[in-house]
Amino acid sequence: MSIHKALLFFTLLFLTPVVSADLVLVVNSESGIERLSQREVVNIYLGRYRRLSTGATAAPIDLSVSTESKAVFYRQLVDKNLAEIDAYWSRLVFSGKTRPPQQVENVDEALEFLANNLNALAYIDRAAVNSQVTIVFEWLEQ
Amino acid sequence: MNSIKAWSRWRRGLVARTLLAVLVVVLLLAGISSVIVSNTVKRSESQQAVIALNELVEAVSDTASIASFTNDDQLAAEVVQGLMSNSDILRVTIRSTEDTLASAERENRGSSPNDTGAISQIIHPLSSPFQSNELVGEIVLDPDWRNINARISESTRAALLIQIGQMALVVVIIAAIMLYLVVRPIKAISDRLHSLGADSGNLLDVPSGHENSEIGLLVGDINDLTGRLVATLEQERDLQQQQIIERRKYENLFDQAASGIFVANSSGQLESFNRAFANLTWLPESRRRESRSLTEIHWRAPELLLNMLANSLSSRNEGTKYEDDFVLPGRHGSDRWVHIEVLALGDGNVQGTVSDVTQRKLEEISAKHQAITDTLTGYSNRAGLQYALKDISSASQPFALIMVNLNGFKQINEALGFHVGDQLLLEVSIRLKEILSSDDHAARIDGDEFVLLLQGEQERRTLNQRMDQLLQPLSKSYELKAVDQGDKPNSISISASIGIAFFPIDGSDLNDLLRSAELALNSSEDRNESSYLYFDPAQQAAVEHRRRLEDDLRHAIIANDLQLAFQPIIDIEEGKVVGAEALMRWPHPEKGDIPPDIFIPLAEQIGLISKIGLLVLEEACRHVAGWRKNGMNIYVSVNVSANQIPNGLTPIVVQRTLERYKLPPSAIVIEITESFLMANVSAAQTWIKSIRALGIRIYLDDFGTGYSSLSYLKRFPMDTVKIDGSFIRDLYVDKSDRALTAAIITMAGSLGLNVVAEGVEDEQQLAILRDMGCKCVQGYYFSRPVKGIDFPSTMLRIANEFSKENKVVS
Repeated sequence: MSIHKALLFFTLLFLTPVVSADLVLVVNSESGIERLSQREVVNIYLGRYRRLSTGATAAPIDLSVSTESKAVFYRQLVDKNLAEIDAYWSRLVFSGKTRPPQQVENVDEALEFLANNLNALAYIDRAAVNSQVTIVFEWLEQ
Repeated sequence: MNSIKAWSRWRRGLVARTLLAVLVVVLLLAGISSVIVSNTVKRSESQQAVIALNELVEAVSDTASIASFTNDDQLAAEVVQGLMSNSDILRVTIRSTEDTLASAERENRGSSPNDTGAISQIIHPLSSPFQSNELVGEIVLDPDWRNINARISESTRAALLIQIGQMALVVVIIAAIMLYLVVRPIKAISDRLHSLGADSGNLLDVPSGHENSEIGLLVGDINDLTGRLVATLEQERDLQQQQIIERRKYENLFDQAASGIFVANSSGQLESFNRAFANLTWLPESRRRESRSLTEIHWRAPELLLNMLANSLSSRNEGTKYEDDFVLPGRHGSDRWVHIEVLALGDGNVQGTVSDVTQRKLEEISAKHQAITDTLTGYSNRAGLQYALKDISSASQPFALIMVNLNGFKQINEALGFHVGDQLLLEVSIRLKEILSSDDHAARIDGDEFVLLLQGEQERRTLNQRMDQLLQPLSKSYELKAVDQGDKPNSISISASIGIAFFPIDGSDLNDLLRSAELALNSSEDRNESSYLYFDPAQQAAVEHRRRLEDDLRHAIIANDLQLAFQPIIDIEEGKVVGAEALMRWPHPEKGDIPPDIFIPLAEQIGLISKIGLLVLEEACRHVAGWRKNGMNIYVSVNVSANQIPNGLTPIVVQRTLERYKLPPSAIVIEITESFLMANVSAAQTWIKSIRALGIRIYLDDFGTGYSSLSYLKRFPMDTVKIDGSFIRDLYVDKSDRALTAAIITMAGSLGLNVVAEGVEDEQQLAILRDMGCKCVQGYYFSRPVKGIDFPSTMLRIANEFSKENKVVS
């Protein structure tokens, strides 16, 4: 309990950027992508443009809601909570032209997906970064 | 016809007019307000529509921005579809930054011009859902203005309809109120007024409920006015009645008046005139009664009458009468004089009255003629001469004034009577006329004094001839009949004296000329035969001298220069001085002593004798009072002339003077002369009586020189007679003088009068008088008149002489 309270307090005190666990966006190291801007990340994750510089269509991967990382990611990326992100997608889903990123249960699944898909992108904790992936976007310490 | 009339009346009625006015105002207001309303409504409605559309766009902008963000044309199309369900939207387009995502346009509707000036397109920028500062597209929306305007018109119409409805209601209500509150009562009043008689004096009723309203007041005012009108009408009626009567009266007066009456304008045009006017002015007969004129009358001087009319009309003072006399030449030689009086009427006409004054005028002329004419001779009298001289001298031509006097005319008148005298004068006037030319003028100014004015005469040479011509016939004998001598005429010869003066050198006016001529005449008269003399300036000098002397005398009296001298009166039986005669002396500063026989007559002529008389009395009393105080028991005699009575020296004044000096009456003696008695017998009698009643003695002076009528001595009570010195002077050479003196003394003695002999100059005379029994004397033998201050010593000297004489005798 005291840990939860402290966490809440921490969250309120430092708000999202500070909340962020040290998430980084990674791609398959062999994908040929080396760096993405935040703008490119937004466009890819929110379904605006998914064409990569390599010419391939990006395949963003969302983590499950159960991972705290998803909420942190969107907060850090577009300053929205997950409900807002859902509402956004619900409108687009209706037209069927774009789809929200594919969702995986955890980081392991995400890494696995990455390993199999050259065009996939995923946000993972920096700690989970391995040699098979390349960090293409990270939030600088602020 | 009736309905048209009723309509037109209604149309001019209050209600109609009010309604019309209200209607016009209402319509005007409605017009203005509908414009305002429709504009406002239109603007607000279109703004409203734009706002609504904006809100709509705002509502879908989230979705649209997502569609634009993701370039999702499907989503965009849905949004567009949704927007198009709004009927106010004509066209919607959603664009992303890259492409038009969706667009829709309402069909079958042409674009409508946007006449409200509102925006024609709504462009809503779309920002990224995640980055508000990043534009990702826009919604372009065209409002359907036709639709919007149609809706706006609808609501405007509704608003106007409501307004019009309200106004119509107001008009109807006003009409109803007007009808009820104003028109109905006025109509009632009007109907009542119609039925009222103009002068019946009936009153209006106040419509019920309007007792205190303006209508009630109006009715009250109308009733008041009606009352006044009725009263005025009655007055007017009375006045008219009266005027008719007055007019009838005046018309009668006008027609029957004895005076002529007319009304005329300035040019003499007659407005009206009465019968008397026509008769009086001999207005020529004419059938015309209109446009007659004063100028038709034969005035001798019509312009004078017209002048008078003009003066009257231009006179500033209203009511100023102008009047004058005018002559109408008579048909048979007898002129008619009319007196005309005009008065301006104020309307440019004058009213005139005409009366016949011929009789008065003739009388006036005759009276005037008489006033300047001598009735006996028909010559001018003095006044006539004055006029004639004025006429002649105004021409500034020289002429001669001849004064003719008949010598001894007075004696002829007295001896033969006035009748003969008048005949003589008439005859003389006839003879005088023969030498007169037509320009000359003859006058008789007094008794036998004729004056002729001979025109153009200025030289003695020519005038001498005429004077000779004049004197010759005058000196011929006159055959005159006395009244009581039957037909036997008296043959009388008379001489004439003539004095001549020239104008202007001998005098510039009648008085000067007459005086000059008279001076010359007096000198001529002295010759005692028919003669003429011209005025000599030396005569004038004599007159001047006399006038200066008069002035000096006046000054002397004021300056108290006249002095008294006293000559003793001596009783030769007693051998003493008993009195003194007070004599006036005038020591003239330049001319020496002026003798009393010169200045006393002068004083009498210029009216100063009374003053001198009082002075003498006063001085005499003062002296005698002083002497008597010193034991000199004497009297002073004072000379009184006829001119001093009755008022110059009244007995009361004499009495008071005596009283003032506390003198007994015996201290004063009054000396009078015979001329004193003759001048005014009854006055002298009364005066002497009063003086004697005071106890004052009266001496008769200069006895023997005048008429010396013994009857005077009988009629006038005297105390003493003074024998004139002229008898005494030759007493011892002239036997008759001696006889007369002796007779006077004897007679006086027998009448009980005392005697004083004057002018005793030597011892011989004194001796004779003493022998004759004369008691008192005065004269140079004893003393000249001496000054008052020297009198006591003189008295003493005389007394001494007597005592010496007595001693010698004894």
